[in-house]
Amino acid sequence: MARILVIAEHRNGALSEGTLELCKAAKAIASAAGAQPAAALLSKDGSLAAELAKYVPEVFTVSDGNLENYTADAYTQAVKAVVDAQDVKGVVIAHSYDGVDFAAKVAMALGCGIVSNCNKIEAQGGNITFTRNTYNGKIQEQKTVKTDKFVATFEKGAFDKEEAGGAGSVTAVSASISASRTKVKEVVETMAGSVDISQATIIVSGGRGTKDKDKYNDVIVNLAKKLGGEYAASRPVVDSGWTDAARQVGQSGKTVTPKLYIAAGISGAIQHVAGMKGSQCIVAINKDPEAPIFNIATYGIVGDLFEVIPAMMEAIG
Amino acid sequence: MKIVVCVKEVPDMESKFKIIGDSKIDESQIAFKMNDFDQYAVEAALQLKEKFGGEVMIVSAGPERVAKEVRQAFAMGADWGIQVQDPEVDAGDSFVVASALFGAIKTIGDVDLVLTGVQAEDDQAAVTGVMIADMMGVPHCTNVVKLDVDGKNMKVNRELEGGKNEVIEMAMPAVLSIQSGMNQPRYPTLPGIMKAKKKRLDVKKAAEVGCTAVGAAGSKTSFVKMFFPVSDHKAEIIQGDPKAAAATLVNKLKNEAKVL
Ligand SMILES: Cc1cc2nc3c(=O)[nH]c(=O)nc-3n(C[C@H](O)[C@H](O)[C@H](O)COP(=O)(O)OP(=O)(O)OC[C@H]3O[C@@H](n4cnc5c(N)ncnc54)[C@H](O)[C@@H]3O)c2cc1C
Repeated sequence: MARILVIAEHRNGALSEGTLELCKAAKAIASAAGAQPAAALLSKDGSLAAELAKYVPEVFTVSDGNLENYTADAYTQAVKAVVDAQDVKGVVIAHSYDGVDFAAKVAMALGCGIVSNCNKIEAQGGNITFTRNTYNGKIQEQKTVKTDKFVATFEKGAFDKEEAGGAGSVTAVSASISASRTKVKEVVETMAGSVDISQATIIVSGGRGTKDKDKYNDVIVNLAKKLGGEYAASRPVVDSGWTDAARQVGQSGKTVTPKLYIAAGISGAIQHVAGMKGSQCIVAINKDPEAPIFNIATYGIVGDLFEVIPAMMEAIG
Repeated sequence: MKIVVCVKEVPDMESKFKIIGDSKIDESQIAFKMNDFDQYAVEAALQLKEKFGGEVMIVSAGPERVAKEVRQAFAMGADWGIQVQDPEVDAGDSFVVASALFGAIKTIGDVDLVLTGVQAEDDQAAVTGVMIADMMGVPHCTNVVKLDVDGKNMKVNRELEGGKNEVIEMAMPAVLSIQSGMNQPRYPTLPGIMKAKKKRLDVKKAAEVGCTAVGAAGSKTSFVKMFFPVSDHKAEIIQGDPKAAAATLVNKLKNEAKVL
């Protein structure tokens, strides 16, 4: 039976949470496409194979010294080796930093279509329709793949994590992997800062809509101080140097779960929401009634943050 | 150093979007701009040129109006460019667009670096740069936040989740996708804008850059439909003028959500 093959993601000897979500996605696609879920473990020595086999009926390992660190070159060769050796219909990859780095290269190596950044699948007579976010989350689109095989990448959180339970088979696929043209030297921390916003119970966060550094300080920092909380920001605010990187919330910043998260002038891009959706109460202040942030907020005010926030300061007293 | 930057025109995301017949956005309602991420790529290229000399070329695919974004990159300091203007490319998927951009890059020849933004704000696919690298037969690195160049060798920081970077060594020629925040993109100056008007912009059809994968036939994926997301959760929108709404909100935070 054809397989829907998850490419397991792992770092420092552990599978990523996203990998368990991909196992769930592969199961859903497989049942729609009359295929069977499976996973590939590409690593130095295959030591996570038994762990991975708890989530899928079949695990294929490619083990090679050149797979010690993730690289697009080595991963693409290894995926190709598994697809050549086994009957694989689709390859599913996390839409993570590593996933984005190699998924399109795999599609090129297989000569097949890729649908990236998916959040949902639907089956129509064995044909899979992929739903994905576009236009900063304002519009969704559906796509299908025309080629025999496909590659799809999935947004973090699109599927629940698959439960451990099974004990799948483990099969080694032999392949000789040539050295990558990119060499990994080290992994460094870039956000170490004096403040740890992840401990705050109240966070006031400002986005590009705060306009400039002075205005950001004026409204966001002052409201945070008034509420006895911390101030934080979306990525463009940090990119522009209005506040420190240690205060960035999101996929490439901090994950926070305060009691109260106030998002002002933040549109609610998926990469931002990834870092704050676990907050107990979310307030969105945005002049655009269609901003995606309103889809996850508890309370919303559609309006100009430069009018609303001073009025809040007054109401707090 | 010969550096190509791929630039895409995208809608301003604060535009009021209207979908026509489940299949396209009503472009008459939309203001267009340069993809944010691409501005960082243009700036990175200009900084390399300032340091090491050479030339910065802009390559873009899209209808006539896209020339505005290419000329903005010219006004920032890029030297010249190629616009693949072909409805058959616009009708294709990422693979078709990558093939067209690759074709244009090939006509330039001996390119050391190709820079792209990490993704387009409209498609959010993040695949085109990687495809171009594969077509060129050169290595790539995505989500680049730092770049040190020494001759043909590069030390590149690739962004990872949660504020980490992976430090990578690689050599030119290569394709890098540039992440926001890597630099502070410059604003075009008035003299820059004047000069940009006279810079060379070659307008080509797909076939003229040797690109044969075009349209739906050349695509590897098919578009089905588009729609506004239906959320099973919507915020409780607090009505009233800013003063009244703010007062109601503070009251609810204190007495209903009990978080203040
Ligand atoms: C790989 C990758 C990683 C990323 N990581 C992160 C991350 O960790 N964190 C992050 O935040 N982003 C991240 N991003 C960027 C993300 O995609 C968005 O670009 C970003 O979150 C947008 O920030 P924003 O909402 O502040 O700006 P915009 O999307 O520009 O939104 C500004 C909002 O302000 C509103 N506004 C403007 N003026 C006013 C006013 N006067 N009053 C009220 N509202 C107003 C507008 O209506 C708009 O909704 C990442 C992107 C990529 C590709």
